[in-house]
Amino acid sequence: MKLLKPSWVSHNGKPIFSLDIHPDGTKFATGGQGEDSGKVVIWNMAPVIREEDEKNEIIPKLLCQMDNHLACVNCVRWSNNGLYLASGGDDKLVMVWKRAALIGPSTVFGSSSKLANVEQWRCVTILRNHTGDVMDVAWSPHDVWLASCSVDNTIVIWNGRKFSEIIATLKGHTGLVKGLTWDPVGKYIASQADDHSLKVWRTMDWQLETNITKPFSECGGTTHVLRLSWSPDGQYLVSAHAMNNSGPTAQIIERDGWKTNMDFVGHRKAVTVVKFNPKIFKKKQKNGSTPKPSCPYCCCAVGSKDRSLSVWLTSLKRPLVVIHDLFDKSIMDITWTLNGLGLLVCSMDGTVAFLDFSQDELGDALNEEEKNTIHQNIYGKSLAITMESQLSTTIIENPEMLKYQQDRQGNQNPNAAQGSSAENQTPKLTNVLNGQSLEDIRKNLLKKQVETRTADGRRRITPLCIAQLDTADFSPALFNSVPILPGSSASTQLTPQISSDSNTANSMGLRPSHEPSTTTSPNKTTEDNKDSGAAPVNSIGMKSNLLLTSASKIEPMKALDSRFTERSKATPGVTSIPLTMCITPLDSHRVKDSKEPKGKDETSSDSEDKIMVKSLSMAKRKGEMEGGEVVEKRKKGRPRKDAKMMMPTSQPFPQTTVSTSVGPVEPSRSAAPVVVFKLPTPSLQKSFSTQVGTDAITYLEVENEISVVSGARLSQLKWSREGREWETLLPSRIMIATGSSDVVAIACEDRTLSVFSACGRRLIPSIMLPAPMSALHCSGHFVMVLMTSATLSVWDVQKQAALVKNESLNAILSGTDATVNQSLLTQQGVAVVGLSNGKTYCFNSSLETWNLIADKQDSLVQCADFRNCVSSQDALGAMGPLALTQGRNLSAGRLASRLSSAPHLLQQGMTLAFLENQLSSALILLSANEYRHWLLIYTRFLVNEGYEQRLRELCQDLLGPVHKSTCSSWQPTVLGLRKRDLLTEVMPVIGQNLRFQRLFTEYQDQLELLRLK
Amino acid sequence: MAKVQVLNVAVLDNPSPFGNPFQFEITFECMEDLPEDLEWKIIYVGSAESEEYDQVLDSVLVGPVPAGRHMFVFQADAPNTGLIPESDAVGVTVVLITCTYRGQEFIRIGYYVNNEYTDPELRENPPVKPDYTQLQRNILASNPRVTRFHINWEATMDKMEDSENVDPTPNSMLPPTSMPGKAPPLGLMPDNSMDCL
Repeated sequence: MKLLKPSWVSHNGKPIFSLDIHPDGTKFATGGQGEDSGKVVIWNMAPVIREEDEKNEIIPKLLCQMDNHLACVNCVRWSNNGLYLASGGDDKLVMVWKRAALIGPSTVFGSSSKLANVEQWRCVTILRNHTGDVMDVAWSPHDVWLASCSVDNTIVIWNGRKFSEIIATLKGHTGLVKGLTWDPVGKYIASQADDHSLKVWRTMDWQLETNITKPFSECGGTTHVLRLSWSPDGQYLVSAHAMNNSGPTAQIIERDGWKTNMDFVGHRKAVTVVKFNPKIFKKKQKNGSTPKPSCPYCCCAVGSKDRSLSVWLTSLKRPLVVIHDLFDKSIMDITWTLNGLGLLVCSMDGTVAFLDFSQDELGDALNEEEKNTIHQNIYGKSLAITMESQLSTTIIENPEMLKYQQDRQGNQNPNAAQGSSAENQTPKLTNVLNGQSLEDIRKNLLKKQVETRTADGRRRITPLCIAQLDTADFSPALFNSVPILPGSSASTQLTPQISSDSNTANSMGLRPSHEPSTTTSPNKTTEDNKDSGAAPVNSIGMKSNLLLTSASKIEPMKALDSRFTERSKATPGVTSIPLTMCITPLDSHRVKDSKEPKGKDETSSDSEDKIMVKSLSMAKRKGEMEGGEVVEKRKKGRPRKDAKMMMPTSQPFPQTTVSTSVGPVEPSRSAAPVVVFKLPTPSLQKSFSTQVGTDAITYLEVENEISVVSGARLSQLKWSREGREWETLLPSRIMIATGSSDVVAIACEDRTLSVFSACGRRLIPSIMLPAPMSALHCSGHFVMVLMTSATLSVWDVQKQAALVKNESLNAILSGTDATVNQSLLTQQGVAVVGLSNGKTYCFNSSLETWNLIADKQDSLVQCADFRNCVSSQDALGAMGPLALTQGRNLSAGRLASRLSSAPHLLQQGMTLAFLENQLSSALILLSANEYRHWLLIYTRFLVNEGYEQRLRELCQDLLGPVHKSTCSSWQPTVLGLRKRDLLTEVMPVIGQNLRFQRLFTEYQDQLELLRLK
Repeated sequence: MAKVQVLNVAVLDNPSPFGNPFQFEITFECMEDLPEDLEWKIIYVGSAESEEYDQVLDSVLVGPVPAGRHMFVFQADAPNTGLIPESDAVGVTVVLITCTYRGQEFIRIGYYVNNEYTDPELRENPPVKPDYTQLQRNILASNPRVTRFHINWEATMDKMEDSENVDPTPNSMLPPTSMPGKAPPLGLMPDNSMDCL
């Protein structure tokens, strides 16, 4: 083992609370206290690893520093994909950083450091929710979620795919929550708090799985952090500070039953941080010795308040190494390199140490595949199927795939570390200077700038735009008084990489310890400080410019110093630690004189509360108003008493119109016990009105027995749409009236059915039905009739043909005591019948069968999880008759966690079966949109889970025969969609997984061929 | 996260005679189009002892500000010498550049300023009544002190109006009954009255 303390990694002596090595191993982030704010710094890893790089002045050490946090940064964590950095601090905020386009080195204006920012990282989101200091943040496996914990006793789970969205807030701790760790399998998240407890929460429902208190009962809240860690195989969770026989320990908690029988003992003070090595190891095979099977083991580093660090292997009873007196103060955070051989530690004393192990010491790291096998064996699922790190080892075999992958990377993550194209970024800041140099412009800026007077006589300057920002991805680059350099010079120097394979790890040359090399002399700085007496830490160059010789001249500066940081009178009451929320003068006056931070906090929460209340009441008011509108609309609609009969006034997607109606069946059913296979009839009303149609709202008004002409009773039907009206008279009393945009259907008491066109022209002479009507639907030019004899008919009025003729519902009703509680007709003329037992069937006229399309009790629906296969734009495609009949069940399925209690293999199978069900259901319902929607999800699922056979079959069906052949029964379209268009749509999905690159190429080529034909 | 980042301030015409206007070339970057103007102010601290002697040299609206990187020169007349306590005319003081958005200050850039006689004779024996024509103003441009404040960048209309409508009578002890807590404390002048100076 080699040990190094890189003295240049420092926050000017201020404490470093957290550090994390980037997944690609080229850089690491530190977080801690800045001058008068929190500070996040990104450092180059190469100078830590190689001495020659450290000495090479061309290689930058500091890559970027961000002082946006208003108070001390307690935690920095890279996302697993390396795209984001999350930081949490005492300012109650979590910031998420993303690398911006390269635009050249820069410094933070006004900061003491003259070092340039080589990389630009900009804050893409600020996550505000916590009401206290954020102590720890953690990305879930696959970066689906980001968790943050705080001294406000809560843990917030943020949506890692859509920031600012809160998935859950985990409440239950009664003390400051100081550490978080995700289960590598993704099933749990564990948190440790000052309330003498460690809690494990389920990610499936975000409820408490277990609460472990016994090992912590003796613990005092003496540590700043309690960073716990989960072993990479998921089998063990190791806590920070625990007590055993009055001695500080790190408690080992077994996943199996959450047993707490073991601990790491030996530290003299509380354990602040535990960090598992990301690798699983197996014993190094010695040359010559016969290979014997050895059990894989994990490696774990433990840091403590006693300033010492211990490294343990789970295969050994004693620690592998213990290093005392490494720091002057408590250890705060530990991070491992991805290859598992390097380790960075930081301390409250503001220094960082790097430990480098050899393979002889730790053992042979299992590769991803072996690690996956272990996961597969334990949990029945592999974690890394779609992990990019694994894909990157696959060789791209053809240029088209390469191009596709590059495009994709370019779109998704322009700054991705793994991308081969990531280095050749073009600056996103477009210069708008028309060829003029910035220097020229600056010379004449005062003369040239546009200055006007506002109406009230104030000066108004139109600033000169020197660069436009690509708002999609730009840089908040901070630069010094140098003109902008086109392109970057320094960034190209950043070549050294630590790759995760062990060869390079071997070649890493490390030396035992090292003197500070080229840092700016700290003595000089302190001298300056003494001179000025005003203690501006950032006072480099002060002496040379300002002739401060006499002590009397220095005196006023002390007094002046406060002026730099105090806000102007315009917004008084706020000192240099500003508040999360803006304080309005109204609030701030009240606390003008309260200097204690506590007072300020109260104010901030006060004002927040106020704003909250205000917005709440606004929302409420809005809601009321909307409510009012709805009521009004209803009035206009003149609904009949049974509101359920009404058509929805506005359906979100008119193209997938479905006419639903439940009303007529229900009321009478509840009135009298239903005879099996005998459907109820709607009650006869004197008059009623109903609203039909979707694109143009149509009102049907029925008035029975309006006039008695020579003993005959007539009933009137009144139709109105957008000011147009017609009326018709019928000899019998009208029981049900319904219509679509094309037709109007009327069922009368005398078992006749009349069908009119939208203009009131009778299309068919009265149809005599074999039994009284139970339900009647119109959709497009289709009319569906459900009769009390439990038979169904569907006609196509336009073609004057029967689609379904007196089909009995016996098939679906027999053997159950269920009744029909829903029936509808899709736009394509497919009859759908929903039963009270939660099953929904549709009748397929070509097969002449009843097909089950939805079942509320279907466990497949409950357990299938395809969440990660649904993209946001898919949401629209999900609307249609299938979604309508399945309704809420579907969303339940979507909520079921990918990592739910079911074993993965089983769940995979269930999801597959479910998706195939959906696909065939959409097909049988003739719902093209939904078919496409589910096809895409199905493909994504196949791609993600690696079902090559099915994928191939699917592609083959979509492609069809490339050459014309007469004997082929292949249909070029499905539900009116061209299959080859669908295939073209599906191809990019397949291209996402490099495993299928041959399949991708094969079909891409053939599609291309067909296109040329 | 501030929508506006000040990237650089270059102090022009420095050092210069005391009576010359201040000139700051300010470069800033804006993350997204701002619907409202930024308001920049130069405040000259007349005396370290009291804020009473602060002078707003000028305030200027800057806009429109689309997303991007912008620069402008902010020029403001030298301070009114009549408002500077004689004992504080010579020596070190401070000039502040502040920027507010929707009435909220989000950045304050401070520079030390050293006013001294160029003539060694005068330096040795400064006149009791300062001779401003002989004074040289030297801004310590290399050491800006930047303080950033967190503000609400989003529109909160009613709050904004409140701050604009603060009763401008500075010495009123009695707060208007309808707006408790809004009256400025004694001796504190609200924003708009400062502009009048």
